Amino acid sequence: MRIVKYILRRIGFMAVTLLGVSIIAFALVRIAPGNPVELLLPEDATEEQINAMEERMGLNDPVLVQYFKYIGQVLKGDLGYSYRLNKSVSQLIAERLLQTAKLAVITLVWSTIFAIVLGILAGINRGKGIDVFSMMFSLVGQSVAPVWLALMMILLFSVKLGWLPTNGSSGWQCMIMPSLCNGLAQAVLVARLTRTGMADVLSEDYITATRARGISKMKVYSKYALKNALLPVVTIIGARIGHLLAGSAVIESIFVWPGMGQLLTQAIGQRDLQLVQSLLLVSAFMISLANLLVDILYTFVDPRIQLT
Amino acid sequence: MSFKIFFRRAKKSTFLKLGICGFLILLMLLFIAYPLMPYDWAGIDFANKNLAPFKDMKHIFGCDSLGRDILTRCLYGGRISLLLSISVVVFSVVIGTLLGLTAGMFGGWADIIIMRITEIVMSVPGLMLALCVVAVLGVNFTNLIIVMLITSWTGYCRLVRGQVMAIRNSEYVKASTVLGAKRFSIMVKQILPNCVTPIIIQASQNLGSVILMESGMSYLGCGVPLPTPAWGSMISDGRQYLTVAPWITIVPGIFLMFTVLSFNFLGDGLRDCLDPKNKN
Repeated sequence: MRIVKYILRRIGFMAVTLLGVSIIAFALVRIAPGNPVELLLPEDATEEQINAMEERMGLNDPVLVQYFKYIGQVLKGDLGYSYRLNKSVSQLIAERLLQTAKLAVITLVWSTIFAIVLGILAGINRGKGIDVFSMMFSLVGQSVAPVWLALMMILLFSVKLGWLPTNGSSGWQCMIMPSLCNGLAQAVLVARLTRTGMADVLSEDYITATRARGISKMKVYSKYALKNALLPVVTIIGARIGHLLAGSAVIESIFVWPGMGQLLTQAIGQRDLQLVQSLLLVSAFMISLANLLVDILYTFVDPRIQLT
Repeated sequence: MSFKIFFRRAKKSTFLKLGICGFLILLMLLFIAYPLMPYDWAGIDFANKNLAPFKDMKHIFGCDSLGRDILTRCLYGGRISLLLSISVVVFSVVIGTLLGLTAGMFGGWADIIIMRITEIVMSVPGLMLALCVVAVLGVNFTNLIIVMLITSWTGYCRLVRGQVMAIRNSEYVKASTVLGAKRFSIMVKQILPNCVTPIIIQASQNLGSVILMESGMSYLGCGVPLPTPAWGSMISDGRQYLTVAPWITIVPGIFLMFTVLSFNFLGDGLRDCLDPKNKN
């Protein structure tokens, strides 16, 4: 029963958070300078045309009315209409989310496998070569600017070697560089956590006791240590899924990947009100949902967690 | 923690030594190495347009598309990047700590409201929120500080609140309450000192992450406005010349990497030395 109460409470908090995001997003796009209507119409548009357009977009209503209309729409599942791109926002986001999700899945798979293997090896062999390598990898990986890394990769793999295309979204070759850039930060985080987790668990008494009973090293590592060492790693990966699905504006812009992040930068530049609002809302929804699911999962996986 | 223990640990921590050395070298390069930066950072000189590094020893790292000396711009730009990251971190620490203390000490509605606000900010990817706020405020240096502040105070707030919650019910705080200490004096004398260590550790890493974020924002046209050099804006400025003059992009990126690396060393080193749970 407590778990149900906990979940309901968390869902309530999530609703409040999303409401807050919607208010902030709505306010931001309306305070921003520049008239969205004038950007839509040709320069020689008459007063009447501008008025008609404002009427159509609902910009003549009082601000509060506009907000509640928008929220009413969203609750019905309609994210609005982009007058700039002449498409419904839901459709635009669905298209872009698919592209970002493709990238996110690949990024998640390689970075998780690579980082967990590296972290486990480093945690088991503390102070040895592989540990030093993993430490250097994390420190350098944390210190490189993603923009710079992306440009350096383009310089090396596209300009000098000509192996990979600089941009585009067709074919698997186009996904290599963006997913490497996106996944680096992720891999660093996971590798560090796995290493500390593994090292901490291995110094616990129960591991020593298991070893003393004559159980082989491999079995101790894989059966007794790994499960506990990976607990915090699961949280971090889960929490990052939401962020990965929201897309990275920088990486997507550099590699011209038609995803969520790139759509947002475009939408802000073009003062596309409903698109910006809905993009922020959808991103916030995915991130909060991922966090919520991880927390709920965690209460089942880790019996030590006390529900509050 | 006594300084004696700190120094004993500091002597053993390679990370801390590397971090401090890196930081000092950086400060020297940026603020007293005038012989290395004899040129005007905005001085245009078309004779040296896209000059390659090491060709002319007067311009060791070459020149950019307007013939400006890259080393001079990197060192001058470093001051700007450093000023930006230090301002953002200092303001974030102050705001985050105050709000975190309030939430943790007073609980109730204050806690609920402050924590919901941090959740709202954290549920939107930092760069996305920053882009939207920049669109409202416009691009300039002060606004850049404000925008990054908005995304980075939440970490300190949650950290301090967590710390307060953990200490609030400890026996020595209860003892002070029984002895008649006021809530405010408990907050300042008993609880705040316990937050200092984790804050210092987080702040030293945050210094690097602000510089990284600036590079991302510059690429999207929301960084330190041109022609003022900052590492991020220099990197993205060089992208058009990536094929003809890649050094315009490479050099500031290396400066940036070493700076962030030394901040990260500093953060890891401080963690090793300051963490009371660390027994070595």
